[in-house]
Amino acid sequence: MEPNGSGSDASRQVQARFVTRLPPPLRVPPASMAVPSHLTRFGLSDIVNLLLKNSDPDHENQPFDFLIDGELVRMQLDEFLIAKGISAEKVLELEYVKAVAPRKQEDPRPHDDWVSAVDGSNSSFILTGCYDTFVRIWKSGDVSECTHVLEGHTGAITSAKFIDIRGVENEQNFHLVTGSKDRLLRLWKCDAAKRRGDPIRVGAYKILAGHTSSVQSVSVNPSREMICSGSWDCSIKLWDVKESEEDGDGTTISLKKRKVNSKTKESVDARLEGAATSTLVGHTQCVSVATWPDPDVLYSASWDHSVRQWDVPSGKETWTMVCGKALNCLDIGGEGSALVAAGGSDPVLRIWDPRKPGSLAPIFQYSSHSSWISACKWHPRSWFHLLSASYDGKVMLWDLRTAWPLAVMESHQDKVLCADWWKDDSVVSGGADSKLCITSGIEIQ
Amino acid sequence: MGKEKYEESSSDEEVNSSSDVVEASSDEEVESSSDEVEASSDDVESSEDESSSDNEKVEESDSSEDEVAPRNTVGDIPLVEWHKDEEHIGYDIKGRKIMKQPRKDKLASFIEGADDPKNWRKIYDEYNDEEIELTKDEIKIIQRVISGRTPHAEVNPYEDYVDWFEYEDKGHPLSNAPEPKRRFIPSKWEQKRVANLVRKIRAGLIKVSDQHKEEEHNVYSLWTDDTDSVENKKHGGYVPAPKPKLPGHEEAYNPPVEYIPTAEEINSYELMYEEDRPKFIPRRYLNYRSVPAYDKGVKESFDRCLDQYLCPRTRKKRINIDPESLKPKLPSRKDLRPYPTTCYLEYRGHMGPVNCISVDPSGQWLASGSTDGTARVWEIETGRCLKIWEVGEVARQICWNPSPDRPILAVVLEYDVLLLNSGMGDIDIQTKMKELLHISEPGATEDAGDSKSAVTWIQHEKHDGIRMKHFKAVLSIEWHFKGDYFTTVVPSGDSKAILLHQLSKKHSETPFRKLGIPVTAVFHPSKKKFFVATKKFVHVYDLSKVEKIQKLETGVREISSISIHPGGENIIVGSKEGKMCWFDLELSTRPYKTLKVHSKDITRVTFHRTYPLFASASDDCTAYVFHSTVYSDLNQNPLIVPLEILRGHKPEHGRGVLDCKYHPRQPWLFTAGADSIIKLYCH
Repeated sequence: MEPNGSGSDASRQVQARFVTRLPPPLRVPPASMAVPSHLTRFGLSDIVNLLLKNSDPDHENQPFDFLIDGELVRMQLDEFLIAKGISAEKVLELEYVKAVAPRKQEDPRPHDDWVSAVDGSNSSFILTGCYDTFVRIWKSGDVSECTHVLEGHTGAITSAKFIDIRGVENEQNFHLVTGSKDRLLRLWKCDAAKRRGDPIRVGAYKILAGHTSSVQSVSVNPSREMICSGSWDCSIKLWDVKESEEDGDGTTISLKKRKVNSKTKESVDARLEGAATSTLVGHTQCVSVATWPDPDVLYSASWDHSVRQWDVPSGKETWTMVCGKALNCLDIGGEGSALVAAGGSDPVLRIWDPRKPGSLAPIFQYSSHSSWISACKWHPRSWFHLLSASYDGKVMLWDLRTAWPLAVMESHQDKVLCADWWKDDSVVSGGADSKLCITSGIEIQ
Repeated sequence: MGKEKYEESSSDEEVNSSSDVVEASSDEEVESSSDEVEASSDDVESSEDESSSDNEKVEESDSSEDEVAPRNTVGDIPLVEWHKDEEHIGYDIKGRKIMKQPRKDKLASFIEGADDPKNWRKIYDEYNDEEIELTKDEIKIIQRVISGRTPHAEVNPYEDYVDWFEYEDKGHPLSNAPEPKRRFIPSKWEQKRVANLVRKIRAGLIKVSDQHKEEEHNVYSLWTDDTDSVENKKHGGYVPAPKPKLPGHEEAYNPPVEYIPTAEEINSYELMYEEDRPKFIPRRYLNYRSVPAYDKGVKESFDRCLDQYLCPRTRKKRINIDPESLKPKLPSRKDLRPYPTTCYLEYRGHMGPVNCISVDPSGQWLASGSTDGTARVWEIETGRCLKIWEVGEVARQICWNPSPDRPILAVVLEYDVLLLNSGMGDIDIQTKMKELLHISEPGATEDAGDSKSAVTWIQHEKHDGIRMKHFKAVLSIEWHFKGDYFTTVVPSGDSKAILLHQLSKKHSETPFRKLGIPVTAVFHPSKKKFFVATKKFVHVYDLSKVEKIQKLETGVREISSISIHPGGENIIVGSKEGKMCWFDLELSTRPYKTLKVHSKDITRVTFHRTYPLFASASDDCTAYVFHSTVYSDLNQNPLIVPLEILRGHKPEHGRGVLDCKYHPRQPWLFTAGADSIIKLYCH
């Protein structure tokens, strides 16, 4: 504390040293300096920018976020120190990172109906499912361009996923799976070759039937050979897609043929229909999400208020956690890809650590939303960042190191039904306003 | 030589004290004994010859005043100290100085003391400033007193008791007459009297109480304040007038500042009622004479007089009960979670008041019927409207078939009941439903027996369902839990007011004939029982025997809705005056509890299928959520706890919430409002 800071709050100062893990052009000299204690992160950011400008005149100002003891500073520095019980006498170590905030709002991609499913695991294409029973593939770029329309479902799409990323990276073929409220899963293959003009219409090459009620979610396992699906019939079914891929190679059913099939459903070609390899039974209500993050472990969340962990080879439950609310979304990620984030029929996003023995209480709870949470996704690479979408029309970005949302994206006018990360730095979200919104420029180290 | 003797030894105090004793005892001394002493002691007499003789006389007796005046004329003062520097110690009667005794120096007095064998008997009398010599008797007395015995040796404190009166062998009675004979003969009259009493006691005519009653004292305390005494209270008698308040600091002419009300306080008095306003507002005056006359003085004393002798006083019994203790012990609301609290989802789309809602047994779909002539199916999860049927008339009631493999909706219109295929369920179910909802021969559905059929089953082409044409307006519909039978209520149908239909056979019948005007009818959730609510009663029928088992008296003006607990032994009844009655069928035919909760008509009461919850919806735009635990132990009454008031609907044409239904598997409540919105309240 400086002696000249006599009494008045505004002139009180704290000794601080700025450290970072950012690359050298963004490093400031490690000397400690006195900073006014009433500064917020914006003031601190100005200081860092000033220091950077001193060393490098070409430096462009950019916002930073500050960490003290692994926690993001979200109020005035002195208030933060008091709240955390940190002594102001010592030299504070302020770690700064690039602030995570959306910088660019791309044009929304218009749909004909509610956008209920989105997958952003491919860096050049976005997959969306819609209530008008069609699945669309969008090419990345400034112009909204729908390259493919996948036709065949007779009910609203609830979930759509790329199966094989490798193939797509080489821009050869898409291999996709979709789940729908018509109780079926469909496997699709389409050519990713660029084409001008109208979107290509594609039919499914295989129909996976077995669920007796709406399919709520589809997920692909890490080896890209199996998929799992959760349904309103309280069961989780596992399907083998490796075989079917070989089966269906090159025999993509033409739209016309498939339509004929749909009219005479009883006599559907057996070759077209796939059956589940196994069924996981245990949930007592609608399985709203099933995810498959690990080759042997599968997680599911249900309206029966439970999150269950399944051992895939044996088909047994290994861990059950009851949270008291009907769950709508679930994702595995974070530290060691082991944290469970789930949201449901209340505005609270909860995060559990299944590795923690004995306790089933959530380790984090984020309650800035004002309605049901419809989607939550961990950032594919970061341990700290996740996003959540809610029926209140907001998509929020969260950092585990602070209880406040990093950013609130209010690009939707109605319920947000689905959201995903895309290309590591963008968020794609679809909602009941029939738009696919893309928010980009989110830099996460 | 005695007067020369003066000793100021350390033992003086002791001796002095003993001389005091001597003085004191001298009073007691009998005069006769003093003579004796004088006579016996030669030493004293010898000294008396000399100058101290008159003093000795004084010492000996008080009565000999005439002989010698005491040397001390100035009283009991510390003579030695005060007359230390004087040569005299006072004046005699003639005004001459009474000179001090000449002082001896210590040596001389010591030598003299050593020579004189009587020296140890001499003491100095400070009072008279002279030396006196004690006699032997006096020494003896002193010694006896010191040793704690009686001063005079002759006194015997333990004298033998002398009995002065003789009584033995001195027998001379007052009368020497012999004892009369009558003393030895029992009285005949007394004997008769006793016998009479004994007979009466035995016969029970006279009651003998063991306790001897104490005579009541006819005295009373004149001066005690007996207003609180039992006696006074018993007679309800005298109640003293309340004492007027004594003036305090605020009535002073210059009270302390804290008593003076501020301007705001004075203004606030204006807003008070006349009775509550303070009678006196303190003011400050510079001095006492500028205090004006108290203008209300006469009036107040007059009022007090009136109050004292005209006002009737009664003793009011104040019940000292803590109101908190009267509240029933209810469990905390936190322990009764989950229950619906907050509205998170709204289902918008209807163009008119939503009359009715129904949740599909799986909990995935919600059906609603509205005044705008449509019936809709919604997806509960997202709030999306999936299906719309343009029925063209006001949909009064809508009901999902409770069987999961029969996704059929029954919609009540004015005269018709539509059975619609909801289109949910997989292909097998759909084909079955198509068969079920198909009527092969439109003409053959007339029931054969009745000349005038109550219901006609017709195929509905537009919506691909069945239209059941009733002969009068239909009010409500309810499915049997197995999903094949259902009942419709036609209030103005007289003997055909309650109709039972079988879906699989497309057949209708009217088993219950004599009834009042029914309002609604429901099936028992598990047994073959049937409940019919008329305007004031609920009738319970046995379906297998078609006979009445019970008649429940609700005590309300008009029943609007009833609901059966999933256990089947408890019923709630909602009435049009906002009352809700809970019946325990095992307990009584009268309500176990009547809850007056709503200010307007209750439109719907409903139980949750799995959670211990029930709810009521009303036209006052609120829905109440209650907890209700029904115990399997018959001795324990059901526990009913009000939990939450759900608001949010807006009134429209004087109507509020028109229907409420629980989600079958979640603790969620759907409410349908006259503002054409359906709301979902979640926990």
